[in-house]
Formats: sequence, structure tokens, C-alpha cells
Amino acid sequence: MSLLLLYVLALLDGLLCGARVAMGRSAVIRKRAYYVHAQIKGLVGAQIVSTIALCALFLVSIESAHRLALRADLEAAAGRMLWVFLPYAALVLGNIVLRLVPSTDIRSATSVMMLGPLTAIRPLVMIAGVLYGISKSALWETRALGLFILALMLSLELALNFLAARQQARELNALL
Amino acid sequence: MIAAWNPAQPEITDLILQHHPQTLERLPVRKDDVLRVFSGYGNLQACRAIAGLPDKDGVLEERAIDQLLVATHWEMQRLAEEFYHGHRVWDLLRRLVATIRKSGFRETLRVVDVGCGIGYTSRWLAASVPLAEYGIDVVGMDLNSALVREANRLAALEKLNCHFFHGDAFSPEHSGHIFLSTGVIHHFRGKALGDFFRRHERPEIFAFLHYDFQPSVIAPLGSWFFHYLRMRTAVAKHDGVLSAARAHNARTLVEAARSSLPEFASGIYGAKIWKTPAPRVFHTLVGLRRPLLPEFRQQLGARLGRLGEMR
Repeated sequence: MSLLLLYVLALLDGLLCGARVAMGRSAVIRKRAYYVHAQIKGLVGAQIVSTIALCALFLVSIESAHRLALRADLEAAAGRMLWVFLPYAALVLGNIVLRLVPSTDIRSATSVMMLGPLTAIRPLVMIAGVLYGISKSALWETRALGLFILALMLSLELALNFLAARQQARELNALL
Repeated sequence: MIAAWNPAQPEITDLILQHHPQTLERLPVRKDDVLRVFSGYGNLQACRAIAGLPDKDGVLEERAIDQLLVATHWEMQRLAEEFYHGHRVWDLLRRLVATIRKSGFRETLRVVDVGCGIGYTSRWLAASVPLAEYGIDVVGMDLNSALVREANRLAALEKLNCHFFHGDAFSPEHSGHIFLSTGVIHHFRGKALGDFFRRHERPEIFAFLHYDFQPSVIAPLGSWFFHYLRMRTAVAKHDGVLSAARAHNARTLVEAARSSLPEFASGIYGAKIWKTPAPRVFHTLVGLRRPLLPEFRQQLGARLGRLGEMR
């Protein structure tokens, strides 16, 4: 269950990463289609990362001499990670929901006061969550997998950003 | 003081793009000349940003500068979107339009967006408001031809009913009834600020709305954090924060407007968030012909509390 929840959070993170790297790179007014496309890219990115993580987990599990213990250890580590990730996700989603309030001041405030800083601390939250999750792990496989997945998730936004920047450079070259 | 926040210096974008004041023809800009200005202020952040700009034989490459400016304006639009700037402008503009209509003016109202850049405000209005029903014609004016081209391209892409022109917004052929701007007036310093306001003294102009950063003790720090998070280009990160540091306070704005435009009643709108002492990021210099003021107050309704002293 904890692993499944982490997977859902990874997809959500990918979705938001996709939107974030697309922001400020298109100047049309009606952006719904643009952002949907960007979010799908983020979602696909997160799915690729999750698939790689699942493959790594599978391989380690096959090679492990204590498969059942590893599974329990992974579940426990995932459960601890959720103590960090779930409140963070709730804060982000809560602020996105707050933007439904029809007040320009409240909407702006969610951006400036909350979503901006929450974006800034995203890498730190990821590191803190994974380190807390694996801190009490009994098996080295769990710790190694945790760090591997952390590296994958941190590189997701970098990769999406790189792709978006390349596309933007192409557009600018075509324009001017 | 942090050198990059010194309000006495110009912004990078003020210097890397130069036009002939009369013909508006683009002038070559020497990189060393720009670097020398910021070296004089000990502004290493600006120097690093300028050093990274491509040049040919010491002259900044026009195409690269245009690409940088367009990319920067795309990013700036994102900030405007986050601040719901279009909504804020329309919330005030529609009351101004209603005021002018009540005075008996029936012709199409021409709204001129001064220093429009890529025309976010105008395009937002055209995309979100039934301008024809209100009898409004929106045009944007800018001195940068690359930005004007981009504004027109974007408007055409979304089939928006607004137009952008390269030229002087106050010239007889482009003038309008209501002038508005966003983040423009802090570029006019000292005597130039009064000169800018004096140019509103044309018989056809009813009113103006000039939006700009509101200076406060925490504004540069807040702006630094926000631009650090949101902007990608070094020039935008630098200029965004410097804009907040250079922004005119309410007193400077209203004094300049009142002394330059005695026919207009001027004041600040929206300085505080609700009824708290917390300052809004942007405040608005509002000016309108004196006979329109009583009706404008009526039109503001519950928003009247946001309007400062008008005289």
C-alpha cells in the first residue's frame, strides 16, 4: 500500500514538474492545451522514472537472499517516507485548491507565499523524505534502492527542464 | 547596500537596446559601454549577465538581444499571470469606462497600452472581455520592434482583436482616450517622470492607469526571492529585482502627476491588501479629468476604500 501511494505521489510530482518547466515558455493567453500537453509530458516522465525504479526493485529482489525481509523492509521505509511526502503533497494541493477562490489577492498570495517557497524546497523535501525513510532500514538493498530512486526523481525536473529549454530555443530561433 | 539593488543605476535592458529618439531606428550598442556603466556601480551580477551576451566585434548582436528580450517577456508574462494582472486591470478599467460612458461619450474608446512589450495586458483584455460590446479598441505601443512583432504574432495566433504598433504612444496618430501601462513608469527618473505625465495633456485623453511595483522595505528581498525562483535568464533575474528597488513611491508619483497635469485628479489605487497595512506588490497611479471624479467614485462602489486621496 505504501509503495503504491509513493507511486501515485511520483506521478503527481511529474505532473506538476511538467507544468512548472512549461511556465514562462509560452506567451499565449489561452494556455489550457499547452499546460495539459506539458503535464502529460511530466506524467510520462514520472512513469518512465517509476518503471526504471520498479525494474531496479525487481532485480534487487530477485538477487536478494532474503526476499521476504526485503519486501517488509521496503514497505516500512516507504511508510516512513510518506510521513514527509504526504504533508508536503497536502500543502501543495491545498494551495492549488485555494486558487479556486475567486479573489485575485488570495490567488496571488498562494503563488507568492506558498507555491513558490514549496517549489523551492521540493529537492530538500525529497532528500529529507528518502533519508528519513531509509534511516531505520535494516537492509543495504533498501538504502541503495532509496538513494537510486531519489536520484531518479531529482533528475526528472532537470530532464524536463532541459527538453523544454531546447524546444524554447528552437521556437525563438524560428521566430527571430 | 547590495550593488545590484542600487536604485541609482539603470536596468540592463535599458542599455542593451538603444533607439534613435526621433526615428526610433535601432542603434548599435557596444558591450564595453554597458559593462562600464555597471562596473561604475560595482554591480558584478550585472557585469556577469552582460558578459554572457553574444557580441560581434564588441557590438551586441541584435538578434541575440531580441531573442533574450522576447524570452524575458515570456517569463515576465508568467509573473503577470500569477498576479492575475489582467483581472486587476479590467476590474479598474471597466469602472473607468463606465464613468466615461456616463459622461455622455458614445464613440469607441481607444485604450493605449504604453510600453506594452509583448502586449500581455492588451491581449488578455482582448481574450477575456467582449471589447466590442463595451465599445473599446485596445492598442499596444512599444519602442522595441521585436517585442511589437511578437505581440502581433501572438494576437494573430489566438485571433485576438487588438493591435500593436512600433512607435510613440502619445503621437497624434496613435493617441487614445485611456492610457495604461505596467511596470513602465519607474523607467522615467527625475525630470523625465514629469515630462512623461505632461504628455498625457492632450484634449482626447480622459484618464490613465499606470501600474508599477510598490516600493517597501521588503520589496527588493521579496522580489529577489520571487525572481530567483521564477526567472531563468540572468538579465531577467537582475532587472526584476532592480525594478522593485527603483520603483517610485506613491508620493513621488502623485506629486509628479499633479504638478504636471493640473487638469487631472490623480491618486493611488490599491496600495494595501484589503483593510490591512500589508502592501500590495503593485499599486496603481490613477488619473482622470476632474469632472469625471464624482462618477468614478460611484462606479468604484465597494472598491472605493482602495482609492487614495484624489486631487
